[in-house]
Parts: sequence; C-alpha cells; structure tokens
Amino acid sequence: MRVEYINPFVEAAFKIIGQVIDQDATRGKLYLKSVSQPVLGVAVIVGLAGDVEGRVLFDMSEETALAVASAMNGEKLTQMNQLVKETIMELANMITASAVTKLQDLGFSFDLTPPAIFTGVDMEISNNGVEALIVPMEISQGKLEINVAIRERI
Amino acid sequence: MKSKTDFPNINQKKAEGMSPDGVPFRVLVVDDSMFVTKQITQILNSEGFEVVATACDGGEGVEKYKELYPNLDLVTMDITMPKMDGVTALEKIIEFDADAKVIMISALGKQDLVKKSLLLGAKNYIVKPLDRKKVLERLLMALK
Ligand SMILES: [Mg+2]
Repeated sequence: MRVEYINPFVEAAFKIIGQVIDQDATRGKLYLKSVSQPVLGVAVIVGLAGDVEGRVLFDMSEETALAVASAMNGEKLTQMNQLVKETIMELANMITASAVTKLQDLGFSFDLTPPAIFTGVDMEISNNGVEALIVPMEISQGKLEINVAIRERI
Repeated sequence: MKSKTDFPNINQKKAEGMSPDGVPFRVLVVDDSMFVTKQITQILNSEGFEVVATACDGGEGVEKYKELYPNLDLVTMDITMPKMDGVTALEKIIEFDADAKVIMISALGKQDLVKKSLLLGAKNYIVKPLDRKKVLERLLMALK
C-alpha cells in the first residue's frame, strides 16, 4: 500500500475527531496487519472505489461507541440503538470523506460508499489478502482503531 | 388586556427561519444518517424553521419533493447515500422544478464536486461536520 494514502486518513481523523468529539486525541504507533483480525465489538466499514479498491474499518468497543455517540449527540446514550449506530457510521463517513477529499485534491481518484456497521464479539473481518495499516487513536472515550486497506487496480 | 407580545421588544431578535409575516419556512431534509437529520432539525427548529419531511436516500428525497411541491421552501441534500446519491437527486429535483432551492450538505468537499453541484442548480454547499452558524447563514442566503 502506498504510504501517500495513509497520511490523509491520519490528518482527517485528527481534524474530524477534534471538531466533533475530543480536541486532545492522540495517536499511537501505526502498524501493519496482514491477516484477518478480530474486531473490538463495533465495526464500521466504508468502501473505497476509483483508481483503487479497498476499505476503511473503524473499530471500537461497545462502551467507546456509546460514549462517542453520547458526546456527538450531546445526550447520554446507554443502549446500542439505531441512533448510536447511525452516529458512529456518520463519524466514519466524515473521516473517510475528509481523507478522500484530500486524496482527490492530490490527484488520486477515490470514491466512497455509504458506511455499513457490524456489531458483536468474536467477529473477524477479512482483509481479502490486502495488507492493512492500522491507525490507533486514543480519545477520552476510549480506543478507536482506523484500519485502512487499499489496493491499486491493475 | 394586552399581552406582552403586543409590544414589540427591540432587543428580541426575530426568528430567522420565518417569513416576514411569521410563517415558518418549510424544509425537506435528505440524509442517510439519523444523527445528521436530528442535528439539522435541531438547528432549524431553534431558528423557527419547520422540517416538514425527511428522507434517507436520494430517491425518497425526490419522491417527497414532488409530494410536497409547491408547499416547500428549501431542501438540504446529503451526497453519499445508498440507492441514489444526492447529486443525482439534485438533478432530478431541478428537472422537476427549476426554481427548487437545494443546499448540498456533504462530508465531501472536493472543489469539482462543489462546482458540479452549483452548476446543476444547487444554491449552496456546506461541508460537514456542521456548524450551526454556517448552516443558518447559507440556508438564509438561499431563501433571499
Ligand atoms: Mg451520508
């Protein structure tokens, strides 16, 4: 995966998270994952298309998802209901769209699909053989992993 | 007996989401996220607008526009949505009503996309995440 692809996601994550959840978010060390991975409990996937194919996976625990959705809605949410799910999906949409905008401005042709959400423990998401780069984010609501897997079309 | 409201208070700002004769502007909100729909509705209600309908994809947005027409002042239109995207929905609404006042509200901000939307007839373009002041400003601009 080209390294130019990843920076816009890191920047977008800081920008959007700073605006809607936590101004003091920090980032852990980027790392690669090449095998299927178990997810933390709540996973949102946004598909990428265009010159490339791939996906961005946003992964967090249910507890973190509830805290993030509460912060974004300005009210305490305690159940994994439709509003919580759609709030987390919109967060993923905003971060991915912001990164895609940056990549488009750099001359790459990227497009994105509407987000889809998966919840549950013991869930694994396959990388389809594409290496994924993980951006771990620490926010006051917990840990959020942004997992980017992009492959150029041949 | 005269109530307090019979005496205009110069310090009291008029709600901007209403026409000069006090009728709320009627808005259709199209977005696939319940979170965004709720957020836009809260912003609009706080300024006196009335959200008369919501739709969660482009196709439903076009349908509701036709149903509500001509009793509708404004549409807010998301772009990334399932089934039919917001740019296609914008085209279809303008095809039906060339005077439609559609404002795009998207997390995508690429200049080409903004330009394309404006060329197709959108009155303005707002990039998410939403800022209350910015939303009200652009919506009111479109109504003028
Ligand atoms: Mg959307």
